[in-house]
Amino acid sequence: MQRFTEKIRVAAIFAPGCQVRPVWFEWRSKKYAITEASYFWKDYYGDASRLHFAVSDGSNMFELMFDTSDQNWTLEGVEES
Amino acid sequence: MESERIILHIDMNAFFASVEQQSNPELRGKPIAVIGAAKRTIITTCSYEARAFGVKTGMNSWQARQVCPDLIFVVGNNRKYTYTSTQIIMIMREYTPLVEVFSIDEAFLDVTGSLSLFGSAERISHLIKARIKEQFGLTCSVGIAPNKLLAKLASDMQKPDGLTIIAKDRIAQVLERVPIQDLCGIGAKMHQQLSKFGIKTCGELGRFPVEVLKRNFGITGERLHYMGLGIDDSPVVPDEEAEEVKSVGHSTTLDKDITERQDILRYLLQLSEMVGRRARKYKVAGRTLTLTVRYADFTTFSRQQSGSCHTNNSEDIYKAAVQILQGIELTQPIRLLGVKISSLSSHTEQLPLFPAELKKALIAGAMDEVNNRFGDFAVTFGSLLGRDSGSKVISPAWRPEGVRNVDVE
Repeated sequence: MQRFTEKIRVAAIFAPGCQVRPVWFEWRSKKYAITEASYFWKDYYGDASRLHFAVSDGSNMFELMFDTSDQNWTLEGVEES
Repeated sequence: MESERIILHIDMNAFFASVEQQSNPELRGKPIAVIGAAKRTIITTCSYEARAFGVKTGMNSWQARQVCPDLIFVVGNNRKYTYTSTQIIMIMREYTPLVEVFSIDEAFLDVTGSLSLFGSAERISHLIKARIKEQFGLTCSVGIAPNKLLAKLASDMQKPDGLTIIAKDRIAQVLERVPIQDLCGIGAKMHQQLSKFGIKTCGELGRFPVEVLKRNFGITGERLHYMGLGIDDSPVVPDEEAEEVKSVGHSTTLDKDITERQDILRYLLQLSEMVGRRARKYKVAGRTLTLTVRYADFTTFSRQQSGSCHTNNSEDIYKAAVQILQGIELTQPIRLLGVKISSLSSHTEQLPLFPAELKKALIAGAMDEVNNRFGDFAVTFGSLLGRDSGSKVISPAWRPEGVRNVDVE
C-alpha cells in the first residue's frame, strides 16, 4: 500500500452510538464513492483519538483517518488493484 | 486434588495476517506474510495459505520467497492489531471476569462461574466465536478443558476455526499419544532432555517414575510428571490480580549494525526516554539498570548495575546506561540495544530537595505533559530530533492495560 498524508474532503454519516461511516471522499480533484468498508480501528496520538477506515471504491483500496481532535480527514494509504 | 473447573483457551488464527486479509479483501485466500517496517525485518506471521507452502514465522523475506514465490508481503500495522486485540478481550470479559491475557492473540478464560448465566462452555465458546467473526471477520480456535494446560493443548488440535473439548474422563486417552513438545512449557531443550530418557509422548511422561524426574530436573521434575498426567492447578489470573511487573524495558533492533559511539549513545538516549516515560506514566521507579547488547553475529549479553536510589528520570537512566557501556569493550558491530530498569518501587510523587534535581524533575514533568497531549517525542532531546522513534514491535509481554501496555508505532 502506498502511503500518503493528505488532508481530504469526506462525506460521512455520524450514526448513534458513536458510529462514523464515510460515504465518499475527494482526492486530487476526483470523487470516490465508498462501496465497502472492510475494517475499522482506533488509536491515539497524544490525547487525540483517531478513527481509521479501510475502504474500497469497488476497484481500489484506501485508508482514511478521522482525527477527532481537529475534525480533519486524512488519506493515509492507497492500493491500486 | 484439582477442583472442578472449566477453562477456555482462545487462540486467534494467524492473527496479524487474518486482520490484514480482512482489511484488504484482495488479500483473502492468498498467501500473505506480515513483516515489520524496519529495513531488517523477518516474517511476524503469515496466512494459512502461506503456511501451506512452508512459510514460517521468523523467516527472512528471501527464505520465504524461495518456498512461496507468489507470497505477498504486507507491512504490519501494530496499532490495528493492539486495537483489535483489546476489543476482543473486552468481548471475552462479557462472559467472565476471569480472563488472563496470555499474549496479543491468546487468552485463558475461567468460565466455571458463568455456566448458570450462559449455559455450557461450548455455548460460551460459540457465542464468543460468533461475536469475533461478526465484528472483525476473524476466526479463532477454542480449547475447553478442566485446566489451562489441557485447554491450550485442545485449542492447538484444530486450526483454523476449531472447537475442541478435552473432557475429564478422556484426559488419559487423549494424552496417551500426544507428543510431549505439544505441551505448553516443554520447549526444544526440555524435549531433547526428556528424549534421552526415551520419553516421547505425554502418556510415557506420566508413567515415568517421578523420583527419577525429580532427581534430574529438581522441582520441575514433579511438575513434568503432573503435566504428563494432564494435571495443572494454576489459576486463571486476570490482569488486575497479576503480580506486579518486575521491570520496565525497551530494546530495538537497529536498521543497520553500528560501531560509532555517537550512534550508540543516541539509541541509548532514545531507549532511556522510552523507559523513563513509561515508568513515569505508571508511577514506578527502578534502582537497577540493565544494558543489553547484541552483536552482529547474534551474540547477546547484558550488564547491570544498581544505584543508591530509585529513578525514572530519563537522563539518570541514560547516564547509568552510558556508565555501563564504558565498562564494556565492544568487539563487534552492534545489532540490538536494550535498556531496562528493575528492582522497582511504586513511585509516589515527591519533589526532590536539591535545586538541580528539582529542575530535572520539573523539566521531565513538563515534557511529559506536552507529550501526553501531542504524542510521544513531540518534545524530546535535541539529539533525537528527526529520528524514527517509539516501539515498532509488539512484545510478547504486551497487555491491554497497565505498565505492560506499550504504545506501539
